[in-house]
Amino acid sequence: MPVQDDLQPKRRPHAGPRMLIRLAAKNLTRYRRRTMITASAIAFGVAIFVAMASLLEGLIAEGDRNLANYETGSAALTGQGYWDEREQYPLDILIEDPASILDALDAADIAAAPRVGFRGELIVHYDPYPEDGSAHLSMYGINPERDPRVFRIDEAVTEGRYLEADEHGLLISRWLAERLGAEVGFPVTITTRTRDGFHQIMDLDIVGIYETPNPTVDRRTVFMPLEIADSYLEMQGAVTAVHLALPEAVPGTADLEPVRAALAQAGITLEPAGGDGPDPDNNRDVPGESGAQDHGAATGVELLSFDYMTAEFAAAMELQEAAFGVILFLLGVIAIVGISNTMLMAVLEREREIGMMRAIGMRDGEIRSMFVLEAAGIGLLGGAIGLLIGAGLVGYLATYGIDYSAMLEGVEMDFRFDGVVYGVWNPETMLTTAIGAAALAGVVALIPVRRILKRSVTESLRQH
Amino acid sequence: MINVTDIHKEYIDGETSVRALRGVSLHIAKGEFLSIAGPSGSGKTTLLNVIGCIDTADSGGLSIDGDRINGAHGVSSRALIEIRRAKIGFVFQSFNLIPVLTAYENVAMALSLLGLAESEIRERTTKILTEVGLAGMEDRRPAKLSGGQQQRVAVARALVKDPLIVLADEPTANLDSETGEAILKLMKSINQRIGTTFVFSTHDQMVMDYADRLCRLHDGLIESDEVRRSA
Repeated sequence: MPVQDDLQPKRRPHAGPRMLIRLAAKNLTRYRRRTMITASAIAFGVAIFVAMASLLEGLIAEGDRNLANYETGSAALTGQGYWDEREQYPLDILIEDPASILDALDAADIAAAPRVGFRGELIVHYDPYPEDGSAHLSMYGINPERDPRVFRIDEAVTEGRYLEADEHGLLISRWLAERLGAEVGFPVTITTRTRDGFHQIMDLDIVGIYETPNPTVDRRTVFMPLEIADSYLEMQGAVTAVHLALPEAVPGTADLEPVRAALAQAGITLEPAGGDGPDPDNNRDVPGESGAQDHGAATGVELLSFDYMTAEFAAAMELQEAAFGVILFLLGVIAIVGISNTMLMAVLEREREIGMMRAIGMRDGEIRSMFVLEAAGIGLLGGAIGLLIGAGLVGYLATYGIDYSAMLEGVEMDFRFDGVVYGVWNPETMLTTAIGAAALAGVVALIPVRRILKRSVTESLRQH
Repeated sequence: MINVTDIHKEYIDGETSVRALRGVSLHIAKGEFLSIAGPSGSGKTTLLNVIGCIDTADSGGLSIDGDRINGAHGVSSRALIEIRRAKIGFVFQSFNLIPVLTAYENVAMALSLLGLAESEIRERTTKILTEVGLAGMEDRRPAKLSGGQQQRVAVARALVKDPLIVLADEPTANLDSETGEAILKLMKSINQRIGTTFVFSTHDQMVMDYADRLCRLHDGLIESDEVRRSA
């Protein structure tokens, strides 16, 4: 019966996938050593990627926790535009009447802590200090009773004690104390400016030394009672921010609606903004995006979400993720070169066999599929081994973590993590990586196969 | 059944051009046991490749079982693959078996390409392996078979799909004379019992002696075409 030239593809007989899979699987055993070497390279890449992804996620989670626990809380109320200017520590963008806000939040059982943030120079002198010295620092007046409801500075005190209301006391970090040679009980002098811009000098005694896992706080910040800051800076009860602690599984997921409702109940109206509230995907908002902030119409007070306040940190982490992407790319290149080389050798060594298969009627697509399946098999093997090794590494990282203390000791950057950072289990990332490796291996195999299939059947059959 | 009309084929090898076929015409009827003989470079492998649809002629006509392969209105390359898959069986000089597959799997692969059901593949493969004298050796890989047994597997692979024609390029060249003769006897008996058409290329006198028809090529031209026994 004549062969129809216009045969429909679906009517043409084709090699079943079972045969191609069986053939590919058998071919994997043909060059065992080569298969294992390539699979090992892929396994190495997958394991390293899985471990690094776990650690990066751990770093982000640790950074978010440290931001929430020591710098921002779940959300904050500030004077309008304060957050954008906060690096200058302005004392002219304030919440003038924090008491009414605190009352409203207390009534709704929302933990809130007022703070006055300002800039000052901390000066120490020889005896009792080893030598004269000074440091320009961020200073916060905190309410010793309310602050622990939102922040964890109180838990971070490792020597001396936490602050008490109205005392001329100061909390400094271990990091700073070691550099100044300070001890609990030593006096310090702080020079700063009042709310109205006049020079002011404060004489305080160190009552406690704290040590948080947030190096940015440790390296820059001292704390004193709110009343002392209020008095010396002539704040007249005004504060720079009221920080909030809200129920949330991870920072950035809190529902801000209860805050809005509590303030509205007390007649403190915040300008409504469309689509606000927590980001369901826990994405970080960037300044200017809707929902990031509420502008107070009557009070000039705005409600800032965690994501809004930590946008710069998120941007820094994105840079880190980009660096991670470069490592991923390099690992990908290793895998691609390995699999490409293996498949190129396999294809070249089997060229006559390919010629035979084409001669007996195997289509180019079927031959491509066979090699893709073979390479994907190597990728899958490497991915599975890598997944096992990666799981072991993640298990170690999640249990014991990595101690960054020594590594970050001399680094002058805004890190939000210190000490031991733990890895995070993310089965989705792990599985995606392993499957991705198999898929990538399969795709890479197309390159050498394509080269061979460009040759004629007779050319392939002549190869030895 | 197969008509070759004034086929020309020229190869370019570096700066040299080789006129492998210079106007070959041939009619092959069903059931023939034909040997194409000639010295190296006479064009016999090229002619076999053209007939087997794995190479195309520069000019001339080729039709297989009513399909016009070459020349104006020839079939597409996709249809050529279908012809090779369903109608042509190949036996190569160096067997060309897949080393990781067993004898059974090497033969069954030809049927898998036709999309047949597993049960039919099993039945036909077992039957043809018995036919070529390899019953009980189905699970052996090529490395565990002798040269003659490997060529029997190759013959089985060519025959299992019940092709219109089996093309064998120097099928005994890699075998000792005794084994080569056994293979020839096997093919001859299949030709006589089933009526499968065989075309060989060879320069081996023994192969020529087995042929019912002997076609001698020289410098790309048919020198003689002699029918020795009627098919």
